[in-house]
Amino acid sequence: MAVVDNTFNDPALRAPLITGRADLASITDTVCEITEQYRPPRSWYVAFIASLSLLGMLGLSIIYLIATGVGVWGNNSPVFWGWPIVNFVFWVGIGHAGTLISAILFLFRQQWRTSINRMAEAMTIFAVTCAGVFPGIHVGRVWLAYWLAPYPNYLGMWPNFRSPLLWDVFAVSTYASVSALFWYLGMIPDLATLRDRATTKIRKLAYGVASLGWTGSARAWHRYERAYLLLAALATPLVLSVHSVVSFDFAVAQVPGWHTTIFPPYFVAGAIFSGFAMVVTLAVPARAYFGLKNLITMRHLENMTKVILATSCMVGYAYGVELFTAWYSQNPNETFLFLGNRPFGPYAPAYWTMVTCNVLIPQLFWFRKCRTTPWMMVIIALLVNVGMWMERFVIMMSLTRDYLPSSWGSFIPTPIDVVMLIGSFGLFFTLFLLFCRYLPMVAMAEVKTVLPHGHQP
Amino acid sequence: MKPLIGVGLVVGALYVVAVGYYGGSPETWRVGYSPRQPVPFSHALHAGQLGLDCRYCHTTVETAAFAAIPPAATCMNCHQQIAPESSKLLEVRETYANGESVPWIKVHRLPDYVYFDHSAHVTRGVSCVSCHGRIDQMEQVTQVKPLSMGWCLDCHRNPDPHLRPPEYVTNLAWVPEEDAAVAGKRVREQLQINPSTSCSTCHR
Amino acid sequence: MSSIGDQKNLKTHWRSLADLHDLPEYRAFAEAEFPETADPGGVNRRRWLQVMGASFALAGVAGCEAKREEVLPFAKRPEGRTPGQPQRFATAMELSGSAIGLLVTSVDGRPIKVEGNPLHPQSLGGSHALAQAAVLELYDPDRSQNPVQLAAQGPIVHAQKDKWSGFDEFVRQHFAGVKERRGAGLAVLSPASSSPTLTRLRGRLQHELPEARWLVYEPLHDDSVRAGAKLALGAPYRTQLDLSSARVVLTLDADLLGSHPASLRYARDFARGREVVDGQMNRLYAVESCFTMTGSAADHRLPIRSGQVPAFVGRLLQRVQQLLSSSVSTPSGESHVEKFLAALAVDLVAHRGAGIVAAGDQQSAEVHAAVHQLNALLENVGKTVNYTLDPSADDVSQVESLKALVSDMQGGNVDTLLILGGNPAYDAPADLEFAAALQKVKTTIHAGLYRNETARLCQWHVPQAHFLESWSDARSFDGTYSIVQPLLAPLYGGRTGSELVARVLGDAVPKSEELVRATFKALVGEKYNESLWRRTVHDGLLTESAYPAETVTAAREASLPTEWSEELPKNGALELVFCRDASVYDGRFANNGWLQECPDPLTKLTWDNAALVGSATAKMLGVSSQTLATLKLGGMLLKVPVYVMPGQAEGSIALALGYGRTAAGLVGGLSDAEVPAVGVNSYLLRGSQAMYVATGLTVEATGESHRLAVTQDHFAIDKVGVHERARRVPILVREAPLDEYLKHPDFAQHVEHVPALESMWSEHVYEGHRWGMSIDLTKCIGCNACVVACQAENNIPVVGKDQVLRGREMHWIRVDRYFKGDAERPENVEVAMQPLACHHCELAPCEQVCPVAATVHSSEGLNDMVYNRCIGTRYCGNNCPYKVRRFNYLNFHEELKDANREISKMVFNPDVTVRVRGVMEKCTYCVQRIQAVKIDARNHGRPIDDGQVVTACQQACPAQAIVFGDLADSQSQVARSQQDSRSYALLAELNIKPRTTYLAKVRNPHPDLAEVPDPAEVEEGRAQH
Repeated sequence: MAVVDNTFNDPALRAPLITGRADLASITDTVCEITEQYRPPRSWYVAFIASLSLLGMLGLSIIYLIATGVGVWGNNSPVFWGWPIVNFVFWVGIGHAGTLISAILFLFRQQWRTSINRMAEAMTIFAVTCAGVFPGIHVGRVWLAYWLAPYPNYLGMWPNFRSPLLWDVFAVSTYASVSALFWYLGMIPDLATLRDRATTKIRKLAYGVASLGWTGSARAWHRYERAYLLLAALATPLVLSVHSVVSFDFAVAQVPGWHTTIFPPYFVAGAIFSGFAMVVTLAVPARAYFGLKNLITMRHLENMTKVILATSCMVGYAYGVELFTAWYSQNPNETFLFLGNRPFGPYAPAYWTMVTCNVLIPQLFWFRKCRTTPWMMVIIALLVNVGMWMERFVIMMSLTRDYLPSSWGSFIPTPIDVVMLIGSFGLFFTLFLLFCRYLPMVAMAEVKTVLPHGHQP
Repeated sequence: MKPLIGVGLVVGALYVVAVGYYGGSPETWRVGYSPRQPVPFSHALHAGQLGLDCRYCHTTVETAAFAAIPPAATCMNCHQQIAPESSKLLEVRETYANGESVPWIKVHRLPDYVYFDHSAHVTRGVSCVSCHGRIDQMEQVTQVKPLSMGWCLDCHRNPDPHLRPPEYVTNLAWVPEEDAAVAGKRVREQLQINPSTSCSTCHR
Repeated sequence: MSSIGDQKNLKTHWRSLADLHDLPEYRAFAEAEFPETADPGGVNRRRWLQVMGASFALAGVAGCEAKREEVLPFAKRPEGRTPGQPQRFATAMELSGSAIGLLVTSVDGRPIKVEGNPLHPQSLGGSHALAQAAVLELYDPDRSQNPVQLAAQGPIVHAQKDKWSGFDEFVRQHFAGVKERRGAGLAVLSPASSSPTLTRLRGRLQHELPEARWLVYEPLHDDSVRAGAKLALGAPYRTQLDLSSARVVLTLDADLLGSHPASLRYARDFARGREVVDGQMNRLYAVESCFTMTGSAADHRLPIRSGQVPAFVGRLLQRVQQLLSSSVSTPSGESHVEKFLAALAVDLVAHRGAGIVAAGDQQSAEVHAAVHQLNALLENVGKTVNYTLDPSADDVSQVESLKALVSDMQGGNVDTLLILGGNPAYDAPADLEFAAALQKVKTTIHAGLYRNETARLCQWHVPQAHFLESWSDARSFDGTYSIVQPLLAPLYGGRTGSELVARVLGDAVPKSEELVRATFKALVGEKYNESLWRRTVHDGLLTESAYPAETVTAAREASLPTEWSEELPKNGALELVFCRDASVYDGRFANNGWLQECPDPLTKLTWDNAALVGSATAKMLGVSSQTLATLKLGGMLLKVPVYVMPGQAEGSIALALGYGRTAAGLVGGLSDAEVPAVGVNSYLLRGSQAMYVATGLTVEATGESHRLAVTQDHFAIDKVGVHERARRVPILVREAPLDEYLKHPDFAQHVEHVPALESMWSEHVYEGHRWGMSIDLTKCIGCNACVVACQAENNIPVVGKDQVLRGREMHWIRVDRYFKGDAERPENVEVAMQPLACHHCELAPCEQVCPVAATVHSSEGLNDMVYNRCIGTRYCGNNCPYKVRRFNYLNFHEELKDANREISKMVFNPDVTVRVRGVMEKCTYCVQRIQAVKIDARNHGRPIDDGQVVTACQQACPAQAIVFGDLADSQSQVARSQQDSRSYALLAELNIKPRTTYLAKVRNPHPDLAEVPDPAEVEEGRAQH
């Protein structure tokens, strides 16, 4: 039978969630075949080698850094934090969409999430991994970083629980572990499917172990759904908490340009913003390459662009409020920083790039044409990511001019700074490509639930 | 079966923590350090049986940060008469003659960033024995206390049980008639001792 | 630490002094410890360090490894020596013929810290950056270590055990010959020295070798000063000023508070005169071409070309004479200079007998003569201005005698040249071509601390002993007889100048101590006895030995031009002024990292010298800061980076001497080791005709640029920042003219009002001490003594030019320098200095954000920085509003790992941890000194008196601008100072409650000249650069 309208959540006509003459089997095939084909498309190899070499660069520069000292970066006094923290905040931000899509949209029963959540979550994990690299190597004496953890010791010392940096350690690590768990749990049935279809010993073994002896019995499914729901509920607040806490690193400090109460919501919005932008950036080419057009449909993409548009407006609003508060507070340091130094100071180009990419360009999504033309989305999404990196950079550069003009300074990145930024993308894409190759990119089990057959008695 | 696994995991985790903690503690890898000295000097003989006061050799202990290791000259004060030919004292005699130093091995070592001052403790009724143990019973000096930061803090936070009238600091065998804490409290009040736990007390 | 003076301490000093020099066992000790006298290998030196390990380890946050560690006690401990306990000895440092008294702290035989000698009238406990850095020079591994003989096949280094034998043999033979010729053909060239011993030996030499000549040359000579005195007074009298009682002071290109030999004393007296006593304080007028410290402290500064000064003085003389004859002052003209002259003349005349007029070295003899006449007219002589005769001073011009020598050398009339220190091949006037002439001399002998440019051209070079290693004596500017006593046996077995001369004279084995003692005997005559000698050595000086004041009057009409032209000289007719450098002096300190990295007081320039150009001139020449320009003068060319300096006299360009060394060492430049020179050698432009001020200079931009490592401003200042800075400066550095201060003594409280602020944290409560600091901006002259003192006390690393360019200098205390006024109108530019170190905030922002609690509050209110706990997140640095925290981005002590630089470790203060890479550090209020005093006091059960705890910066400050003490004691100096109506806290609006507060600056402008400069503009001026 032809499937005309496969959305049961709305009487009004809507674009179908799954197009094509998809049935349970065909979905399984489309998704699994990607990992099962003897060798992936050549383009995969090209991309993989490229990102792997970038990852290598990152590794080498880290070794050099630890051997020599953080002086290999451009950091100085007054700019004690430079690009590494910019990159950290940038990546943590990216790592938001995934859990948001899976957890929050799941709780809100947004069924359109099903096709994209797996990819988005994967991206989240990888982004958080990239983020994790930077604070780790950022400290002057890496070999003592474990002092950040509260544990009984013969020094009789505890970490300083008043420090936002410590909250940050907890927030990010919790977020990373929960999202990873959530992602993995969601993948178990699909891994089992791969196991059952496996032809070679290794695949059988690997997927067998990974799928934890999933039987697919009604009982198993029942427990699984429960657990998934619980985890979703658990992950949801984390989505909001983690970037709020990250923002505290700045908001709690008293540097003009950092010390702002709007930071938590502003950071979360920005994070979701950049997160979705990254999902789009990845999803569009992925669906093209691996022929998932029927599973990740235009409707999914369009929904995401709408989220981007919405969050873009929030971010824009935040920028506006910052300026207003600065003016309204009449705090001379604030006024100088927001109304003088940022828009017209030495780092004005970064500021205006940020405004353009984050506030102006996304407005194009008001036009249906832009929401539905893949290449346009990708370009806009890419620009958004550039803009969001700039946003963090602009915030960081507040350090160049704080209270005493005598200690004003500037920041010039070193080659190592640049290598590490690029290298982090290497890490990200290496992981992502491996994911595309070996794991189910789409949550088959969940997608099937949105097929009409899935709902027939 | 299943519960056992759970229990096993918990116990295992605790075990790892415990190993990490005690494995890393000076309690484990410092206490008992007893290097062989170039000259087999016996504190048990000199400080114990002969009852020499610690300050006879470690002269600067009450006035300076360092309880100076005695120069060979100090040994020779007596050993020009007593056992002047002893082979054990060969190195001492030589260095005394040629002005070199006896290469003693340091037993009680603190990290370079710790500034411990003997005079500040000895003059306030903290006995040698509190940190060095019964030196007067040691043939070869052995470290008996961990000398870790936590260990120092224990005393700095609650000094009473470790205080005694200053005249008894070098009497390692001394024990108060009444409860040590009570006796110590009196000393603390007399000498207005309030040990600081600020970092800059020891780290500069 | 024993405060010297009372008998008890005298004894302890004595005993330890005896250990150091008399007891035979010390000799053994010294041999073992200063192996350079034994063999040049590094092995023994390491053993030396182990010996040090007996009482302390060179502390490092690296912590203790589990390797076995030896304790090496003395075989026989010198009596009175307590391992690890500091002892202090008095000595003196001589610079260009006048000495300052010092008190040197020594631990286990290692001098580690230099202070001013409180008993010495010329330092009164204060010191300057050069003195503070002396210990680093002492342990400089680049110092000359062995006699070097120049042979056909290249230099032969005599490094064997008795390395002096070769040289001694040579001296014996050679000078036997010289003796026969009664010294004919022998010339001794020495730097200026006031040492009575050397003077005595010089007399002996000239008596025994009558044909020989002895001449003195200092690149920063005072020829014109002495010539001027001779003109006006008939003899080279030395002018002694009393700034404490002077009400009006006029300096003409004279840096009384900076480069003057008596600057320490003058700074102290001047500061005292700044204190407002019944509505009165002194007033300082500075007339100068380039900004000096004196100029920056002045109430009125008139920047004119040095070439205009004679005319200025001429006109001043006219006006003063008019005023004195007919007390009607001629109406002042419109121009600023006219107004200035009028006001100045009236002021000087009004304060007859309580005024001072002083001119600097670079002014002509005529000007100096006129100055003497002025002081006489104004009845200052005998009151604020006194004259003394300097017996050791030459009556001849150093430059002229050097000229004569060089021509004789060229003519082959000199066959033996003995150069006692100094570096003429580098710093002699360029047109004399000294180096070339040197080749014409058969036998050339050079003695010096370093194998410098000159040494490398001489047949013989022999290492000289550092003043901290040698017995000598010297006279300070006022003539006070001071003893230079050694703190340790010569590290590299060097010899003192007098020892060498004695050898030349044929003495068998001269011991400098005996030489000095003999001089002393002769000096005090029958008063001599052992205890007097000991007392003198102990105190470092002989009391009442200053030159007696002579009564002389200037009986001569000065003849000076009076025509005045305002217009700016064209390019090609520009003026070039060679000035003393605040860091490297005349170049002799070029290899001293502390000094190279010490920012210039006004330019804040490190590791470089630059051509200072006024902004209008810069526009005219089309140059700006950091452009590399070619300076053309009399056919000589020199590429120099430009620094646009507000307040620089237009048409006059200032260039510091002492850079561009090619044989200074691995720090200052060493061409042999391919270590590039630091800065450019401005001596190449300096001719014997114009030693200080030259005209006819052409400046052309090369199109290239050169990055200058400045510690402030970094030139990258845009309009927005400029306006903001201008807005903030008056709030940060609060100041008011005297009359406003008298009206509103609490003006500083009303510069900015802060609402009542609530803290979200409960505040600390204190039982015991509450340490605090107060800095008087009225007294601070920005001399940098505190900066280097802090570096010496706290083992602060040198990071090098590249790191300074990256903004990673490590100084714990810095002196912020702000310009005010209109850079387009140099006469309008004012400078405000503000020393800044950690403020030890009560509610410290750094403490709250450190995740590992590595910086926390102590029970006495200190903001402790625990290096060994720090993991280097640098969050505290971000959150510090004063940006006084310094981070070890790299291992800045790396080079000390190198075996043959290891000796530099000896300069470390054992009571302060040496920080490793990856650790944050900052001012600790010298907590090690606090602890030392506390422990000592408690051991003896006595309280700590006010003023017993002295921080390094406070101790060094010649002006006593810094006060430290216990705020809990309401009577303490610091507590009272913080109660003062001028006292204000920096950035109080942040509610961080800093422990350090400032006393607002009070200026004393002349009512007719008072104009409040608009801060906004100067910054405009700077903005274009």
